[in-house]
Order: sequence, then structure tokens, then C-alpha cells
Amino acid sequence: MSDQVSRAQSQPASSKVAAGAPRSAVQSMGVMGVTLVRFSIIIGFFSLWEIASGRWIEPFLVSSPIRIFWSLIAGFRDGDLLQHTWVTFEEIAIGFPVGAFSGIALGYAFGRSRLLAEIFEPIIIALNGIPRTAVAPLFIVWLGIGLWSKVGVVFLLTFFLNFFITYTGMRQMDQEYIDLARLMRVKGWKLTFKVIFPAISPYLFTGIRTSIPFAVIGAIVGEFVASTEGVGFFIRMSAGIFKTADVFVGIIVLMIMVIVLDKIAEMIEKRALRWQTQTEHIQIQA
Amino acid sequence: MPDLAQTSSEPAPSRTEFVIRVENVSKVFHTPGQTNLGALTDIELDVRPGEFVTVVGPSGCGKSTLLKLIAGFSPASAGRILFQGEEVRGLNTEVGYVPQESKLFPWLTVEENVGFGLDSKRFSRADRERQVSQFINLAGLAGFEKYYPSQLSGGMSKRASIVRALAYEPPVILMDEPFGPLDAQTRMVLQDELLKIWEQKRQTIVFVTHDLVEAVALADRVVVMTHRPGKIKDIINVTMARPRNIFEIHRQEGFDEAYGRLWNIFRHELNIGAH
Repeated sequence: MSDQVSRAQSQPASSKVAAGAPRSAVQSMGVMGVTLVRFSIIIGFFSLWEIASGRWIEPFLVSSPIRIFWSLIAGFRDGDLLQHTWVTFEEIAIGFPVGAFSGIALGYAFGRSRLLAEIFEPIIIALNGIPRTAVAPLFIVWLGIGLWSKVGVVFLLTFFLNFFITYTGMRQMDQEYIDLARLMRVKGWKLTFKVIFPAISPYLFTGIRTSIPFAVIGAIVGEFVASTEGVGFFIRMSAGIFKTADVFVGIIVLMIMVIVLDKIAEMIEKRALRWQTQTEHIQIQA
Repeated sequence: MPDLAQTSSEPAPSRTEFVIRVENVSKVFHTPGQTNLGALTDIELDVRPGEFVTVVGPSGCGKSTLLKLIAGFSPASAGRILFQGEEVRGLNTEVGYVPQESKLFPWLTVEENVGFGLDSKRFSRADRERQVSQFINLAGLAGFEKYYPSQLSGGMSKRASIVRALAYEPPVILMDEPFGPLDAQTRMVLQDELLKIWEQKRQTIVFVTHDLVEAVALADRVVVMTHRPGKIKDIINVTMARPRNIFEIHRQEGFDEAYGRLWNIFRHELNIGAH
């Protein structure tokens, strides 16, 4: 266990040692260097793409970064793409929280009740064996071609992931925390929200953050199967008429959506888990 | 779970005589595929209110198991444990427990940890704050109230862990080798602090350790346990005057005598182990 005080004291000593030893690659490059290399790689990739398109590869197969950029601008300017984005976002904004919440609630319930877990665990594992996107057409039949069938697929994909990770967290929890709290006459509401949920919160956030891309996959698969709007619909239509640039535009929109949602979740996680020691990158020294 | 809070309102005979009575207690662990593992055999022990009892023995002799039985974490295989005259069935919420590792709740700050057992029914907000700051001061943790356990040193977490158990004032505190992993100096400082706190509060303490000096230095009585299956070999009265000076405990009247008796028992044990 490291103390802030002792950490501060050990700083000069360790840097003295480090002076003789070879510095890590990241240290010797510095933050600026790392950023520079990263951007060079990205710019190099896009330049190569731009050059290759029309010279070595048919443009309708890969489009080109500049064309994609202008399609993106055009798409948002005439409002069509904005509408598609909004529809997909709506499907996720309903399906994802409901799925995550139900998954967490059931994982918690399984963790608390051995009876419940013993009865339902094999059933849940069997259900989990179903490739969930294969159920999407069924959801169209049940819930129609509109919003709710996509919400259903998003729900399904988020639910299982959150359920399994929460349940794992419940089983990995240190019994001694519960025993100590119970000795202090803590039970009911306080035991749940002051002990159990904080104890499994790293798992909860892992579940939520890993399920974000899956929620987006769910929405898109639903839209691929049958829809009249949404980014998935936009991608499918664009591909159908070989507007490759627009396909990439759709992909970029989805990518941004995942990144933004993950950043929001990350911010909440950082705040909620500020009690955790920040794990730095592991070092294996020669 | 025993509702000791309720039953103690009834007239309880002889409750002042002994807080804890361990009667003929044995504990056997059933391990799958192996023969049953005896952890404790025929343990008889009485603890009086306000007493500081230490339990010493080699590792694996069942010292910790005994504490866990008194706390009601698991049931005895045979015999019974009376707490204030009531048999312990299920968790014994009248005891405080200090585990081997500090086990502070890592998501709560030092002050939230220390105040965790002070429930709102027994303590008003003002009482609670007063109690928490008093115990944080006692533990020498003033200024660290808002720190999280991961930001504390080993000694500091230990202190916080101990006052967390003391703060809600259970009549008995069980301590399971709380100073085990600490270095010698920190240990002594904490032993000294523990005695000072105890001399003010006079809660009953049952303290498990494998360190003979620690056992004698802290205790009114030392319970000596032997190898698995754990049995009580002897109980030694320590007559050293209080308050004691932990830092020069060797020079104190009565230390040598008690330590000598303890060491005799252990020397005997070691000889048996060598053959």
C-alpha cells in the first residue's frame, strides 16, 4: 500500500535510479512526440488512400477521404443525415439504458439469491447461446418496422452483456466486506447501496462501457433488416446505389456516436471510481 | 441472526460476570475429497467485561477460527458460545471485528469508514460527527479525513480499521492479528496507541496474535493454543501494572515472568515438532 507522503518522498530516489537505467520509449519521446507520431500515421494513411483512389483502385469501391468529407458536409447540410442520426440515436437512447439497467438488476438479483441463480442460470446461458442479431427479423415481426423493433434489438444486446458482467462482479465480491458491514448492523438499503454496489461498481462500468458499441450494432442490424430511416438504412441505401462515399459517411457517424457515448461513460466512471488507485501501464523491465 | 439487542432488554442473569463464554467448542471443516479438518477441539474460555485477552499460537492453530465463531461468521461444530448469556446463532452484532488485512471500504473516505457503524437511529448527526472526529483524533488521523484508503500507508489503514470497529462502541472488539504485516516500529507505536485508547474506553478486547511479546505486553490474560487441532494449552495471567510502557516493556515488573512461562510452553511445542 502506498502512502501519498511516502510516494512523494520516494520520488527523488527513484528518479536517481532511473537516470542510469534506460528510459522507457514513451518517456524519451515525450507527450508531443507521441502525438506527432500518431498524427503522422493518420495523415499518412489518409494520403495513401487519397492517392490510391482513382489511380490503383476503382473510386466506387473505396471512395476517397476528400469525397467522403464533402459528402459528410452535404449530408448534414440538407438535413437528411441529421434526421437519420437522430433516429438511430433515439433507438439507442431508449434501448441501451433500459437494457443496461435490467441486466444490472438481474445480475444483482442472481448474486443475492442462490435459489434464483440455481434455477435460472442454465436457462440464461442457453438464451445467451442464441446469436442475438439472428433474432432481429423476429423483432420486426413482433414490434413492427418502426422504432420499437430496433429498441428491442438494442435492449437484447445490452442486457446480456450487463447481466453477465454484473453477475460475475457479484460472485467475485469479497465476502468479508459484507460480513463486516453486517456486524455493524448495516442491512437493507444501506447494505445494497453503500457496500454491494460500490464493491461491484468497477464491473458495472466495464459492463456499461463494453456494451456501448454493441448497442450501436443492435440499432444498425435492426435497421438493416427492415427500416425506413436511421443511419443503418442510410448505409444500406447508399451501398445499394454505389454511393460509396455515403457509406463511409454513415460509418463515421456511427463511430463518432460510439466515441461520444463512451467518453460520457468514461467521465461518469472517473468520478464514481475516484477512490480507486489509477493503474498505470505495467512495466516489465529487462 | 440473533437479535441480541432485543434479548438483552430482558433480565439476563450473570451477564456481568462473563461477556463471552466458550463452552466445549469444536470446529471441523469439511473439505471435499479429504478427511475432515479439525480446527478447534474442546475450547473452554471465559472473558470478563473490560478484559484484554490475547490468544497466541502457531499459525494454523485455529486462533482466527475461534474469533470467527465468536463473531458468528460460521457456526461451531460442537459446543456453544454464549455472549452476554445468550447463545450466539448467526452474526453477533454486539462485537466489533478488526480483520487481518485492514479491509477498510475502499470506496469510502477515512471519515466515512470510521462513521460507517454509527447508524442514524442511535446517533444524531451532531453526535455522529463528534464521535467520528474524536476517534479520528485518537487514531492520529486528523487531517486525513477526506483521504481514500488507497491513499493511506499500511499503518494508517490499520489505525483507521481499528477505530472503525471502536467508534460505534460495541461492548467487545475482536482483533485478528491486526498488526501482523507491519514493521517493528509501526507495530510498537500502534500497540501503544491501542492500549491508550483501551485505557480510556475499556471495551473488552480479544486479540489474536502469533507474537509472544505482543501477547504479553497487551494482555491481562494470555490464552496459549497448540497445533491443529487447536486446543487451549494454558492461560497465563499477566500481572504487569497499567498503564504500561510498550517501548520499554521488557523492563517492566512482571514481564519476564509471564514471558518466561509462555516461552516454556512454546519451547516444549517446538521440541515436539522437531521429532
